[in-house]
Amino acid sequence: METRICSFFLGAILIGASNFAFAQADNRASVQNVIEPDLKRRDINESNIDTEDFEIGLFAGVISIEDFSSSSLVGARLTYHVNEDFFVEANYGQATAGETSFELLSGGAPFLTEEEREYSFYDLSLGYNLNGEVFFSPNWVFNSATYFTVGAGSTEFGGDNRFTVSVGAGYRLLLTDYFAVHVGVKDHIFNSEIIGEEKTTHNIEYGLGATFFF
Amino acid sequence: MMAKWIALIGLVLMIKVANAEEQFPEVQIVEPYIDMRTGPAQGYPIFHVAEKGEWISILKRRTSWFKVRTVKGKEGWVSLDELRLTVSSVGEPVQIEDGSFSSYQQRDFELGASGGSLDGVPSLSVFGAWVVTENIAAEVSYSQALGDFSESQFGLLSVTHTTFPEWRISPYFRLGFGQIKTKPRASLVQSGEETRTNDLLVGGIGVRYYLAQNFVVKFEYQNLLALTERDENEELEEWKLGFAVFF
Repeated sequence: METRICSFFLGAILIGASNFAFAQADNRASVQNVIEPDLKRRDINESNIDTEDFEIGLFAGVISIEDFSSSSLVGARLTYHVNEDFFVEANYGQATAGETSFELLSGGAPFLTEEEREYSFYDLSLGYNLNGEVFFSPNWVFNSATYFTVGAGSTEFGGDNRFTVSVGAGYRLLLTDYFAVHVGVKDHIFNSEIIGEEKTTHNIEYGLGATFFF
Repeated sequence: MMAKWIALIGLVLMIKVANAEEQFPEVQIVEPYIDMRTGPAQGYPIFHVAEKGEWISILKRRTSWFKVRTVKGKEGWVSLDELRLTVSSVGEPVQIEDGSFSSYQQRDFELGASGGSLDGVPSLSVFGAWVVTENIAAEVSYSQALGDFSESQFGLLSVTHTTFPEWRISPYFRLGFGQIKTKPRASLVQSGEETRTNDLLVGGIGVRYYLAQNFVVKFEYQNLLALTERDENEELEEWKLGFAVFF
């Protein structure tokens, strides 16, 4: 009950304040119009420009973990755009590995414990944009970029952290200046000895993402 | 429930009003014209030219591109080089820094990452530095080295001294301390290996190169001394190549 009363008052105050702000804005506009338009110009400096070089977002998809079937994947991404062509990004993702064909068919003892099946990774990558535009109709145009990334990081799987190289490609569609949707593919390459001999494994991720520039 | 919705609508209205009230900085064009592009990169087509004498509002910046709006409401992207050809309300040329070597020399913070080799094993580091004087910076770093037999993670607190801050390429020296945690691979745990944590001392020498815009490249050699409880201390060598951005 108390919270309801509180939120009611909060609502009332906010509306009151916004109406007041409206009224003020109206007044100012009309006064300006009467006296002289464009009386005061705001000068440009470094601090009063909204700079949007960072991009943050979430992604979700499927990762095919070599020998351990495919699993759903969720992750987060932070990107810094150095210039129109290059960017650097940090990714973190996690998934839960499934079972190997052997485990499924033999019905025997599992290779990994539940905890060891937790698959998580991070990587730091350098990316390169091929900027472009897409025309859904003559007046419905969005900026976009096809990008390629290469990076290094670590994958925790099977109880160990493994040095991982990642190579990826993606497509960024900017629905507004600051909101983008992504679709991408990335190969996470690391050495693993989980099912016997050490070998290089390729773990391919497909994902969809959404990011905000800030 | 109703009250919550009212509160939410109130908030949205507030934000809208706040946005409508925002006054963007403006500049006046003094060259014959400037090009407006459809996107923030050199490859985007020029779809409009704003003429001499026109005032344009600066809405936002992305890397070295500026989104502008003309008085008639046309919106497009203008490069920093073209924006520098405009003037302010008092007729002064617009001055905006674009990561130059002089702005690098006045930086306060650096953030970066590097990759390399720690005793033959791949290692990755992230670091942040606070630039105290033009020569001296305090740095915090975290590294992970992933080998076939063990994994090491170490954090360091160090001070660097850049000998010739006025040079684009300058050597620097590092002294610091920290902690290292070494964890054997899961397959070796059964054979009796266990996780160790040791204090760490570090000395390093490196070269930094101001590349362009706000990019710096660093190449460094570090000698790390892990103070173990065994008879001998463990000495580690690390080579790494990295980059940093500065603010």
